[in-house]
Amino acid sequence: MSEQIKEKETLEALTKTFEKVNGIVQRDKRVIVETDAEIIPGVLLYAKERLKFTHFSHMSCVDWIENNQFELVYILWSPEDKIQLIIKCVINREKPIIQNIDNIWRQANTYEREIREMFGVEFEGLIGAKEFILEDWDDIPPMRKDFDTKEYSSKHFFDRPGREDAKDVRTVITERSGEEIPDFAKKYSRD
Amino acid sequence: MREKTTTLYLGPQHPGITGNMMVKLQVAGDTIAKATTEVGYLHRGFEKLMERRNWLQSFTIVCRICVPEPDPNEENFSRAVEEIEGRIIPERAKWLRVLTLELGRIASYLLWYGGQNGSAGLYTVGQWSVGDRNYILDLFEELTGGRVYHMYIWPGGVRRDMPEGFRDKVLSTMDYLEKRLDDYDKLMFDNAIFQKRAQGVGIINKEKAIEWGVVGPPLRACGIASDVRKDDPYEIYDQLDFEIGLEHGSDVWARALVRRKEIRESIKIVRQVMDKIPEGEFYNKIPNPMKWKIPAGEAYVKTESARGEFGYYVVSDGTDKPRRVHVKGPAYVHGVTLLEDMLVGANLADVSFIMNSLGTCPPEIER
Repeated sequence: MSEQIKEKETLEALTKTFEKVNGIVQRDKRVIVETDAEIIPGVLLYAKERLKFTHFSHMSCVDWIENNQFELVYILWSPEDKIQLIIKCVINREKPIIQNIDNIWRQANTYEREIREMFGVEFEGLIGAKEFILEDWDDIPPMRKDFDTKEYSSKHFFDRPGREDAKDVRTVITERSGEEIPDFAKKYSRD
Repeated sequence: MREKTTTLYLGPQHPGITGNMMVKLQVAGDTIAKATTEVGYLHRGFEKLMERRNWLQSFTIVCRICVPEPDPNEENFSRAVEEIEGRIIPERAKWLRVLTLELGRIASYLLWYGGQNGSAGLYTVGQWSVGDRNYILDLFEELTGGRVYHMYIWPGGVRRDMPEGFRDKVLSTMDYLEKRLDDYDKLMFDNAIFQKRAQGVGIINKEKAIEWGVVGPPLRACGIASDVRKDDPYEIYDQLDFEIGLEHGSDVWARALVRRKEIRESIKIVRQVMDKIPEGEFYNKIPNPMKWKIPAGEAYVKTESARGEFGYYVVSDGTDKPRRVHVKGPAYVHGVTLLEDMLVGANLADVSFIMNSLGTCPPEIER
């Protein structure tokens, strides 16, 4: 394990500059911080311009439905210092709005369009077609935890003829042939 | 006077890429004025599926995210789970993982040889390279039981040890491929048609390359030495002796030269693995998979795939199922924003040629 000097410097620079940033050095080459959603563009711009985190690795969204929150995660990489920085913030799930950052990294536009479509998070000032992956979607955003995949598929698709009752295939075969299911196979049967 | 433009739809099926993706082009004559990537033909909802399955069931899904090179997916997912859980894996497993990753890289580059030349009308290279790729797939079949999807690298190590006599087969295949690469040089790199099509085409702005999110061979073709294997070494890459391909042209030709060099380096790595691989266990057994819970935590891990940085962001909430698995493939940037920018001003005939040089792979854009 190294001394983690660069990692500690990065963390210190961020926490000293921004009051609302706090975090830890996870391990070698890994720094993780949390901050407020309001100052996200400022923190990201500072990390990019001053701390040389020029490479935008990834951006993700996690649905914490039990806390009524969406967590937005920005993952940056510094090609100079070889450090990975994860910046996280939470927004209200009822009214999910956050500023867009595609003026800092152009490719963030694609991530934001996907998160808008899959989670219903609105990015202020985001330009780009509403539809990215899904076509004619009329349900709640599908990556949300309260989206019921089974209910959606039973509403939009039909069962194969003869399988409407969703009976176990072994039961159907035994009924048709008049034979009993062997004991050893019963524990695998759904009925 | 404004020049009139026509709208052309390239795709969803076309020779530029593996998979289905459409590029909507506004063309003036045969010059492209505007390009828009439209995806949505391959969305299978893998990330949502994983949220309803336990950790080991999810492992069988991840390899399907990228068809030409599934191994980085398996390795990323396994390493992310191990990092969150704090599981140590045996040393031999790490070497076996690198073996599959590098064999996968060679197979993927060979497939790319075919795609890149196919989009220039040089079909012979593709016939040869897909044939040669089959020898790698034979090795995979013997090691893992699967030719394309291996489901070999799993949390805790790898699924099987090398079978008897496997080492000799790997080494003889590498010897064959190394000789064969000289033939590809004659057929492809010495070919005036390929040179003329590739040189000076599809140039990426070197100053902006990192900021735009360019990764992998296209970034190294801009003269920037960036490779996850070197910058943030995983498994046992820090114990291996290899170089990364570096070119300065930043055009399609430079990208081809980078891959040409790296395929030789991968052969070198495979030989080193075969020489140095330690004896011992290959799997640190996980608990009953049906009751296996991962402590709450998160990890972003990445590997260097044949097309560039491949990342997995995995979140666990302490239950037996992933809270969130988010996949980032290199094509997510290469195939959308970068491609849209690069195609402006390009010739219509070069579109699929440029797409191929970036390694665009729609399955990982949509997942």
